[in-house]
Amino acid sequence: MRKLEELEHKWFNYKIKTILMPMVKVSSLYLVAVSLYYVYDKKEHLFSSVYAPSHHMTKVLGVSMESNNSVMARVVQTEETKQEEIKKEEVAPSVSSSLEKVSFAPVIPVIDMEKEERVHHVKKRVKTKRKHVAKSNLVKAKANAYLTPKELGVMGKSSAKVVSVQKPHKTKKMHFTSTRANYAETIKSKFSKSNNPRDALLLAKLYYKKNNFKEAEKWALSANKLNNSLEESWFLFAKSKVKLGKKHEALKILVSYYKKSNSTKAKALIMQIKMGKI
Amino acid sequence: MNSRYEELKNIFVDIVDNSTYVELDSTAYNYSVLKSSLDKPLKMVLLYGKPGTGKSMLLNRLYHELKEYREIHYFNSPILSEKEFLKSIYEAMSGVDIPVQMRVNFDALLKYCLKLKEQREVVFLLDECQLYSEALMEKIRLLSDTRVVKFVITLHKTDNEDVIAKEHFKTRIWEVIEMSNANEYDMELYIQKKILSKGLIDFFKTMKKSHFKYIYGHTLGNFRETNKYLYTIFDIYEYYEKNEPAKIDNKKFSKKILEMAAIRLGYINA
Repeated sequence: MRKLEELEHKWFNYKIKTILMPMVKVSSLYLVAVSLYYVYDKKEHLFSSVYAPSHHMTKVLGVSMESNNSVMARVVQTEETKQEEIKKEEVAPSVSSSLEKVSFAPVIPVIDMEKEERVHHVKKRVKTKRKHVAKSNLVKAKANAYLTPKELGVMGKSSAKVVSVQKPHKTKKMHFTSTRANYAETIKSKFSKSNNPRDALLLAKLYYKKNNFKEAEKWALSANKLNNSLEESWFLFAKSKVKLGKKHEALKILVSYYKKSNSTKAKALIMQIKMGKI
Repeated sequence: MNSRYEELKNIFVDIVDNSTYVELDSTAYNYSVLKSSLDKPLKMVLLYGKPGTGKSMLLNRLYHELKEYREIHYFNSPILSEKEFLKSIYEAMSGVDIPVQMRVNFDALLKYCLKLKEQREVVFLLDECQLYSEALMEKIRLLSDTRVVKFVITLHKTDNEDVIAKEHFKTRIWEVIEMSNANEYDMELYIQKKILSKGLIDFFKTMKKSHFKYIYGHTLGNFRETNKYLYTIFDIYEYYEKNEPAKIDNKKFSKKILEMAAIRLGYINA
């Protein structure tokens, strides 16, 4: 009798088990499904947050590649940007490869104010669109060995104009304190240390603007000796020659460069010299 | 007076008795093969299968059916002593009781058998032969070679041991009958015939297909297991009938008791 009571008790436990087990299984399956959905959903968010800045980067880089000869290209050259490159390489290799392309392109510190303006407009638009994107993801211009476009733009103008130019671009952050007198010296000392053809080209450009064509010719030649692929060095050298009254020599140089490079800019300059516009 | 459930319980007591033999399609076929093999000039017939497949039952039935027509002897339990075995064989053949202190000489027994050649054919039905020693099996083989003695032996089929491959069987057994568990239909028929043999048709009607399916799921058609399971079911029924009759419904077969019996027999790990 006692045995049968025990058996009944066992049966009761068994029934509970058989009724509860499917319920537990179903609920655990439901939980797994819900958690999977949650994980999947979260993953999608993560992907979107990873890709958003890289997409933005591509846009910015696209601009910098467009303005190959502009300041944006120079910005990529700086060490800080290189660090960013490394970081982004980890996230998106495609972005890093495009960065590499930019850094290998010839970088000439020549300022095209119109392009510069366009770059800033693009930057502004991107900033307003992507306010939520972390600042670290943006390519920033920073204090470096080269002059910013605004600083270079200021060189030949009055101090009053400097303020008016600086205001919209907020170059105050740079705290650039160079004066017209020490600017050339600064670049020269920098060149003596670095022997960088772009510094020489910068000096050539500076002297050309100051109508010191002899010095401009000298520095353009120096830049060209160091790197003859710098188109601007050819142009400045030729233009200086023209200003010094050596038009024939200038044309000879430009024609030889045009034959070598087939550059449309060189052809345009030849035409300008021939027409006596320079 | 016995209760209905006690009566049902006793139907499923596992005994080898010709009166409780239930003929099914599969057993009927095996029986016919076995019966016809005795008429063939075979020295030995092997009946093998897993425990509970009905080997002993078949042997028992063969004995009871043929004992009136031919010289047939049934050793339902194995005689493990060689002395006793030879004595039993001689006593069965000669019809003479050997005194306790006397023993039968095997060579003399062989000579005795050879003298009876083409005069008599004696059939011995030996159950549980897996328990016999190798030496005794060799003597059985030699006796069968005289063609005066014919042996029908049953063996448990084991996974590790392929008895048919044994040398003394390989050359002599000409008929091998393998017994297997019943299928679901045969098992249902087996239970039905057993219950109806006692005229308990009302109770049988309470059992549904699902109940037979459940029973088959645990016993896999093994007759011994089926007997055991149903015995336990009716044992529980009997208890309730006597002590707590309110707990059972005579018009409905209890799934609860079916499950309780399965728990008791260890089919279900509760």
